[in-house]
Amino acid sequence: MSTFWSMWVMFLVLLNAGITAFLFVWAQKVDIPVQEDGTTGHVWAHGVLREGVRRLPRIWVAASASFFIWGVGYLLLFPGFGGFKGLLGWTSHGQHALAVAVNDANIAETTARFAQLTPEQLAQDPEARHIGERLFVDNCAACHQRNAHGNPLLGAPNLVDADWTWGGDDASITQSILEGRQGIMPPLGDALGVDKVTDVANFVLSLSGAPHDAAKAAAGAPEFAVCAACHGPAGEGNPALGAPKLADSIWTWGGGLAAVEQRINDGTHGVMPAWKSRLGADDARVIIAWLRSQARDRIAQP
Amino acid sequence: MARGYKYFEAIEKHAGKLGIFTAIMVSLGGLAEITPLFVEAHSITASDGTKPYDALRLAGKDIYVREGCYTCHTQMIRSLRAETQRYGAYSIASESVYDRPHQWGSKRTGPDLARVGGKYSDEWQRLHLTDPRAVVAASNMPAYPWLAETKVDSDDIVARMRTLRRLGDPYTDADIAGAPAALEGKTEMDALVAYLQGLGVHAAPAEGTP
Repeated sequence: MSTFWSMWVMFLVLLNAGITAFLFVWAQKVDIPVQEDGTTGHVWAHGVLREGVRRLPRIWVAASASFFIWGVGYLLLFPGFGGFKGLLGWTSHGQHALAVAVNDANIAETTARFAQLTPEQLAQDPEARHIGERLFVDNCAACHQRNAHGNPLLGAPNLVDADWTWGGDDASITQSILEGRQGIMPPLGDALGVDKVTDVANFVLSLSGAPHDAAKAAAGAPEFAVCAACHGPAGEGNPALGAPKLADSIWTWGGGLAAVEQRINDGTHGVMPAWKSRLGADDARVIIAWLRSQARDRIAQP
Repeated sequence: MARGYKYFEAIEKHAGKLGIFTAIMVSLGGLAEITPLFVEAHSITASDGTKPYDALRLAGKDIYVREGCYTCHTQMIRSLRAETQRYGAYSIASESVYDRPHQWGSKRTGPDLARVGGKYSDEWQRLHLTDPRAVVAASNMPAYPWLAETKVDSDDIVARMRTLRRLGDPYTDADIAGAPAALEGKTEMDALVAYLQGLGVHAAPAEGTP
């Protein structure tokens, strides 16, 4: 705040406080002329209403006086009186830093305890599961859904089954969370043509024993060679490339002939954003623990 | 006549005088609180990395305002721990110098969007705007499917960039000349997604991230 505006605010504050303080003191001493009937003589409604004269109640006087004292005290301690920063040195960012430090101290014990636990222990720890679920719902559920079952419209995989597109060990999942992933499959519709796309799609479905046309699948088998480069000759998938396993009943982008044809025609571009600017490795560890606990519950109670 | 009463009488028995003195006293607070901020606001300069919106994002910003996104979403993370923990670093005034009108506020029906850029993929944003329930089952956000069907009017955006330059935004001639090419074939959906993906991502590339 420039000196001019600081002086401007100080002047107005003093002017306002001066006028009101003067009125507060002076008005109580003014003698108001009283008629014989104890009123001021002001009448309304043809004399039905008349204005009486009484001293101000003491509680009103005391309350008003305390507001003046409170106001002066506030402007002494906190910012507000022009450029004067207040004796306490209070700032909103200082208050925020304090709140963060207090919170960090509050959770330090929990964080230290988590660090001592193995991933398996962490997945069974009720507090870790609770925190992991909160972090997942706040950050991951927009794509993977609250129950972590994924969303085929986005190619967001189910995270509580046994299948991991980019690797299911803790290090791989941590990297997926912190650094993000881009699952890109080129469109092959133009290269293959309509009939061959249908043939290859039937062959892909045959890998997992899904309903398919056996004759078309046989015709598509040779064309699958181009797919095998990433998905493997038997459709076993390749976590290093994020190429999903095709020889199981788990479909990242939806199962069935139409969905598989569409993926071959249009390709895919699934994006997992990098979360390292929002989440740390400790957060990722707790999220993974919650996912493991959910996967185990799901397998125990299918 | 009793002591001091004539001054009371002079004001209390004349509605005009009473009104004038009341107005003076009431306006002191506004003069002290509003005037300095109003004047000093014009001296705030852009923070590091805060640049004027490129043509596509500028179009997106206008669609954001037109569709009334601000009635539910704010772009101001307050310096409260609960907010910075959820949304990221608190907002500072110099980040909003190119926002006309600014999108501050604390009334939220949906989440704050000040740093939503890059949080989700472009495809997520597109799907979410077309049908919010397709990605967030419990969402109460309206769907905006028509955005994908309307092309951005580049003449309009060029005119807006010229106007903003006159207001002081540092657009170069090349920025304005390149606008029609940058907007070629873009839909309102593309523009809005580019705008959202740029929020809080300072010095980000022109194409939406990631």
